[in-house]
Amino acid sequence: MNLAKILKRTAVAATLSAAVVSYAQDIKLGFNGDLSASPSAQSGKAGVIGIEAAIADINAAGGVLGRKLTLVVRDDQSQPPKSIQNMSDLIDNEKVVAVFGPTNSGNALAWRHIPNQKKIVSMGMIGSGTDITKPMSPGADNYMFRVSMVDREQVAALVTYASKLPKKTIGLMGETTGYGQGGLKDLEEILKLHGMSAVATEKFGVADTDMTSQLNKMKAAGVDTILLWAQGTPIGQLMRSMEKINYFPMVLTSWAADNITFFDAAGKNLAGKPIFMRTMVSPSTPAQKKLYERTASKLAAPSAFPFVIHGYDAVLLVAEAIKQSGGTDGAKMKDALENLNAAVNGMMKTYNKPFSKIDHEALTASDLSFVKWNNDQLVGYTDNIIKSMSVGDYKR
Amino acid sequence: MESILQALISGLAVGSAYSLVALGFSVTFTTTKTLNFSHGEFVSAGAFIGMSVLFFAVGKLPTSTSFGGADPGTMAQLGALLGSLAVMGLIGWLLFVLGVRPFAKRPGMAWVMSTLGFGVILQSVGLAIWGPKPVVVPSPVGDDVIRFLGLGIRPQEILMLGVSVVIMVVFDHVMRKSMMGKAMRAVAQNQSVASLMGINVNRVMVGAFVISSAMAGLSGFLLAPIAQASLFMGLAVGLKGFSAAMVGGLSNARGCVMGGFILGVLESFVNLWSAQWREVAIFGLVILVLAFRPNGLFGTSTVEKV
Repeated sequence: MNLAKILKRTAVAATLSAAVVSYAQDIKLGFNGDLSASPSAQSGKAGVIGIEAAIADINAAGGVLGRKLTLVVRDDQSQPPKSIQNMSDLIDNEKVVAVFGPTNSGNALAWRHIPNQKKIVSMGMIGSGTDITKPMSPGADNYMFRVSMVDREQVAALVTYASKLPKKTIGLMGETTGYGQGGLKDLEEILKLHGMSAVATEKFGVADTDMTSQLNKMKAAGVDTILLWAQGTPIGQLMRSMEKINYFPMVLTSWAADNITFFDAAGKNLAGKPIFMRTMVSPSTPAQKKLYERTASKLAAPSAFPFVIHGYDAVLLVAEAIKQSGGTDGAKMKDALENLNAAVNGMMKTYNKPFSKIDHEALTASDLSFVKWNNDQLVGYTDNIIKSMSVGDYKR
Repeated sequence: MESILQALISGLAVGSAYSLVALGFSVTFTTTKTLNFSHGEFVSAGAFIGMSVLFFAVGKLPTSTSFGGADPGTMAQLGALLGSLAVMGLIGWLLFVLGVRPFAKRPGMAWVMSTLGFGVILQSVGLAIWGPKPVVVPSPVGDDVIRFLGLGIRPQEILMLGVSVVIMVVFDHVMRKSMMGKAMRAVAQNQSVASLMGINVNRVMVGAFVISSAMAGLSGFLLAPIAQASLFMGLAVGLKGFSAAMVGGLSNARGCVMGGFILGVLESFVNLWSAQWREVAIFGLVILVLAFRPNGLFGTSTVEKV
């Protein structure tokens, strides 16, 4: 080997290692969720907008531990196999230190073993399925965290509300998808905790256009309060079927009713009837309003804004975990999240020790608000029962 | 009692959608002995073409996602209907020329694959243009519930019910009484003999695919205000429509429409009992009918003379 060759090789090696050093200075974060295929894709897009906004703000303030944050985005098109593949790609090839998403709860359930095996923090900020943040086995280390709506928490609040109604004959309704059936199961279990039960339980298909038969059974059973778990469009079709037979019991339903697809399907007059829960009513604090102004033009509908907030706060929490653990080791970040020393001043609220070893939900029932539609706006809903409710009344 | 009558009327309304799709299957089968297995996707496409015309009429981009309460008016609705009939008819012609004729005479099932493929292409193109979000389409006859005797139905459902019965009567008459119907049946029976009798076989076959696809456009146009326009709406209605044709009899218009009504009413009555068993009941019935009356409840058995 002659001298020139050796020099050349040294130069190449030096350039390479320099590249590795500058590469290591940035901290890579990942997003894996539906951005294009299902109607929930709007929520995924809003979440990414929030994540990007938080990263921009953190970088502008000097980054984390002096390093800049970057984001790698992967669209899973709402398909579980694609979502699993993305997860491995982000962790193994892109070497991200934490993953945000997914959009659809089912996909998180399909891949939650991956971050747990690879010891990489997954911070959910969209999907609300109750089981997502459960450990793989009791007592096992758990890398699944969430700062978003949780189905079980909504159910807890809605059932508490129903339990305090002076007169109630309760019926349960749900669509025959995993989402609807999971919600029905939560509803039945929590009703039991309150010592109540439903006099009728009815199901319908997600694409059904006429549910008058099921509703007539509810009517015959004397149901005056329906607890309903379904996606936006079928909730709208159910309201239209109620109109057909002129039967309007009180409807307490899932937060899917906040989706514009529900409003469109039900129409202005019927959309105002159901009461449901949301992580926020509308941007209210100065910081939220500022973020809304910054991002509104990129949102498909204003009702998608909560996902911007959750995406934003998810980044703040992960950044704090990196800061506290002094690096990007996944196991240390998980431990830091489970025991955050500093309060994190988020968009939604100030997070004081949001997680523990057994609790991986940053938001709980007390963070949720009752809402309903008023024309095409979502507004807060309150009455004497809601005023009299306290978190201590909730049973889970 | 009221709930049984409501189930009956709701079932007829749902069933009329199946009837129209079943008629679409019947038209090509009675002429060419082939089927468009993408009829459901054609229904979706028809809905989106009608919807785009309506968007255009209210001054919005055809790719918008909401009418926002704007009413396009009667003329625009008529334009939308003609638009979906014409465009889908044209696509039907393309389907026959590109996807069926080259394969129909060959042994094997190549035409099945090519009609399925045509549907996948239509759906993918649709997704690229309009995206996956369902769109609520305003009805040409208003949306206020019509009530009588404590029962409720929407005007669009009555319209669809009426249209399916009218089309059944027209088809029945044409197929049995007119020269055109005789020509179509002759082509189905024996192409070369029909050709020797002076029937333009090719023209009759093209005509059948154009009419069948235009019917899919009509179904989409009528169904969109009820079920919302969605590129996935055709899948379920296509399968149920095909089942309706199986139950009633693929080769006769009366049977197809009755099959649709039977399935719709059965669904609605099963809902009164226990909705989760609905699909089991429907497809159980289809299998039973196929086992005991292979030509459908209203079909006449064909005797192959040798």
